[in-house]
Amino acid sequence: MKSWRISVVGLAAATAISAISFSGTAAVAASCPIKIGGLAPLSAPGAVGGGEAMRDAMLFAERDINAGGGVLGCDVKVIIADTEGLPEKASAIMEKLITQDGVVAVGGAYHSSVGVAAKDVSNARGIPTVFAETWNDTITGDKQKYIFRIAPLSSWASATLWQAALLVPNVKKVAILTENTDYGIPAAEETTKGLKSGGVEAVTFGIDIGTQDYSGIVERIKAENPDYIIVLATGEAGYNFAQQAADAGIGPQDLPFQAGQVALESKAWWENVPDGNMAFVQRIGTPVNLWNEKALKLNKDYKAKTGKGAIESYALEAYDSITILAQAIIEAKSTDGDKIVTALENISFEGTLGRIYFPYGTQKDPSVDGKGDEWWHQWPDPALTMIQYQKEGQDSTESPIVWPDAYKTGPAIYVKK
Amino acid sequence: MEFSHIFWTVLAWMIFWAVVGSFVTRRVYLHRDLDTSSAAFVGSMLGAATGPFGLAPLWMNTPEITRRLMVLPALGAVMVIAAAFAFADPSNNCVSNGSFVASQIVNGLILGIIYGFMALGLTLIFSILGVVSFAHGEFYMIGGMVTYFVTTVWFPGINPIVGILAACLVTFVLGALFERMFLTPMYEGKIERPVEYGILVTFGLAFTLQYFIQATVGANPVKAKRFVDFPRIRLPSVEDPWLIKTSRGNMELFDTVSISNPRFMAAVACVLVLLSLLYFLHRTWTGKALRAVSLDREAAAIAGINPDRMNMLAFALGGMIAALAGAMLVQAFSWLPQVGAIPAMRSFVIVVLGGLGSLPGAFLGGIIVGLVESAGTGCVPDAQKAASYIPAYGMMVLTLTLLLRPTGLFGRRFSGGAHGKL
Repeated sequence: MKSWRISVVGLAAATAISAISFSGTAAVAASCPIKIGGLAPLSAPGAVGGGEAMRDAMLFAERDINAGGGVLGCDVKVIIADTEGLPEKASAIMEKLITQDGVVAVGGAYHSSVGVAAKDVSNARGIPTVFAETWNDTITGDKQKYIFRIAPLSSWASATLWQAALLVPNVKKVAILTENTDYGIPAAEETTKGLKSGGVEAVTFGIDIGTQDYSGIVERIKAENPDYIIVLATGEAGYNFAQQAADAGIGPQDLPFQAGQVALESKAWWENVPDGNMAFVQRIGTPVNLWNEKALKLNKDYKAKTGKGAIESYALEAYDSITILAQAIIEAKSTDGDKIVTALENISFEGTLGRIYFPYGTQKDPSVDGKGDEWWHQWPDPALTMIQYQKEGQDSTESPIVWPDAYKTGPAIYVKK
Repeated sequence: MEFSHIFWTVLAWMIFWAVVGSFVTRRVYLHRDLDTSSAAFVGSMLGAATGPFGLAPLWMNTPEITRRLMVLPALGAVMVIAAAFAFADPSNNCVSNGSFVASQIVNGLILGIIYGFMALGLTLIFSILGVVSFAHGEFYMIGGMVTYFVTTVWFPGINPIVGILAACLVTFVLGALFERMFLTPMYEGKIERPVEYGILVTFGLAFTLQYFIQATVGANPVKAKRFVDFPRIRLPSVEDPWLIKTSRGNMELFDTVSISNPRFMAAVACVLVLLSLLYFLHRTWTGKALRAVSLDREAAAIAGINPDRMNMLAFALGGMIAALAGAMLVQAFSWLPQVGAIPAMRSFVIVVLGGLGSLPGAFLGGIIVGLVESAGTGCVPDAQKAASYIPAYGMMVLTLTLLLRPTGLFGRRFSGGAHGKL
């Protein structure tokens, strides 16, 4: 009798455990549609213009994946989530995507602070995440199993800034205007360090991302009498500062001036910064003349939808962050997080930015090649170039690449102070 | 800061005597059965400026507290801080560079005029309706958007005044309609908690307007072209224009102070409209009626004024003032659906600082906040932090003012249900 009872209890326990196990691995079996989260800032104080570009690109990714037959016999559904550019919102929205929407992977993200906050949530939940435009080194530097990145590292991107600055004739002092975020502060520190190694002094001015009026800070920068200005501010802050600096006589036509990445949105740049000619702008991704078929097609569709002059680099990154996840799911033949991670670590994917792969991860630690932890799950090949607007109204994709020599399409014009 | 110990020591001394002055002065005035409403403020400012040397005679004589007795110690305290700063950081631009200081003061004044103007609308609404409009920033945004579309998208090349007038008209009508549709239940006793209702319903309007514009216009920053170019002026001579030198987008005074065209135009327009508003409120029947309602609704109604109509006018006018500020600044700043959030927040600070419901208080509060922000941005030694703290500078002044004078600079104590005064 006793053994009979034990058997019944054991059977019940086994059934319960099985049920729990099945519910725990429910994501392994593909339930259609397969949902992938897409992070983008779509409300203030985030860079809403950038967020909308990323959202459009991620929805194009969904369209193209489904047009190509979907994933594991299912359509893909990209669930766009608004981060507002705020870390606290990012954690909450990541939690919601995973627990309520049931996403199996996450792509996108614009602000570094969002990446820094959201990665811990997705990693703890075992959801593979490919960050598109978050530069802060610590995002991959924590060596978290489920976290990948196709954007450049902040330390690496900063090297482009200071190396280009050192080429400016007679440069002795550089003024850096940076947003006080997880993107801006480390980038300014790295740039300052690099400039110092070249014997150039740097003064950094921090700002809040919502700042509109720069009159006080412009006067302060003027008083420093810099030979070059570098702007590390996202969103409309980059426009406001550039035009107000131009009004005060320290704009792109008055001294060598490297604008923030928002300057790549040519139409908005010329409308918001009419005195913005001669500005230098850092650009991520290969030059347009080297774009592959995928990038050209996406650019055409994107231009038709948005009416913009060309697709922005962060929109290309957002598109690739979703399509590479879809490819990884196909290669993993599963939506299980661990299997997707394994697939991503072994992937060689032709995206709009070029061939994307992750040489370092669980199978090979970055230290094996003498690299720092930040190279963990980091795509090592995003092209970084410096372009310069040399004609009023010019499109950023038609502007000459003035650095590095490997991609150079024209000489830089350095305005005299 | 080279000799930071000097600055911090002086600051600690000032804070100590300000606290002592605040507590003791109030008690002394209370003990002698005198008016204590401003005693804490005067005691703290005098303590900060002079320490025991000024407080002792004050406590012994307990003179009547006049405006002069409030202003002079406050100015003295500011001067002591400035002197301590100058000794502590002699190489700071704010100490060693006269043209830099002049530029920052002019910047602060211009900024303050614009801030103050924006806050006027908010205080006007509060003084008449007793409602804090959380949609004030959205009226500012709509003003800029309408002007942008009229002058840049729909009718490029049209006189910008048309765009500005269109912005005024649209926001006036929008404000009037909203007040009629959503705020009238407050006065008719249909709402149990009218204050909370006013806050919530204006919050709702703010979200609706913001997301409506985002959905229809998009989230990419836009900007109107400069309304007018400065004429080319070189004075006193073309060869040596030390007095004034202008280019299309900028004006330079005394070879030192540079003012951008859009900000200058905005400040001038704000001053002109402020004068017109004062004329309207003090010299016209409707303006006097508005002021009467702000003082006593019932008495105004007995005198034949329709308070409900005045409510509508005040809300529409308040929104229109914010829109006018936006219409002038859309040529200076990149414009987004969310552009009104920060100016609205600043307006709340200014209105409380100046005294809820006081027009002169709002304007003076705006100028104080503008100058303090400018001083903070220019003088804080750490360049990386100076501009990051911009929102904090105004909050510090507000906190200090509320601690010492809870009614704000020009405010008065409200009895239940009463409003401010214009």
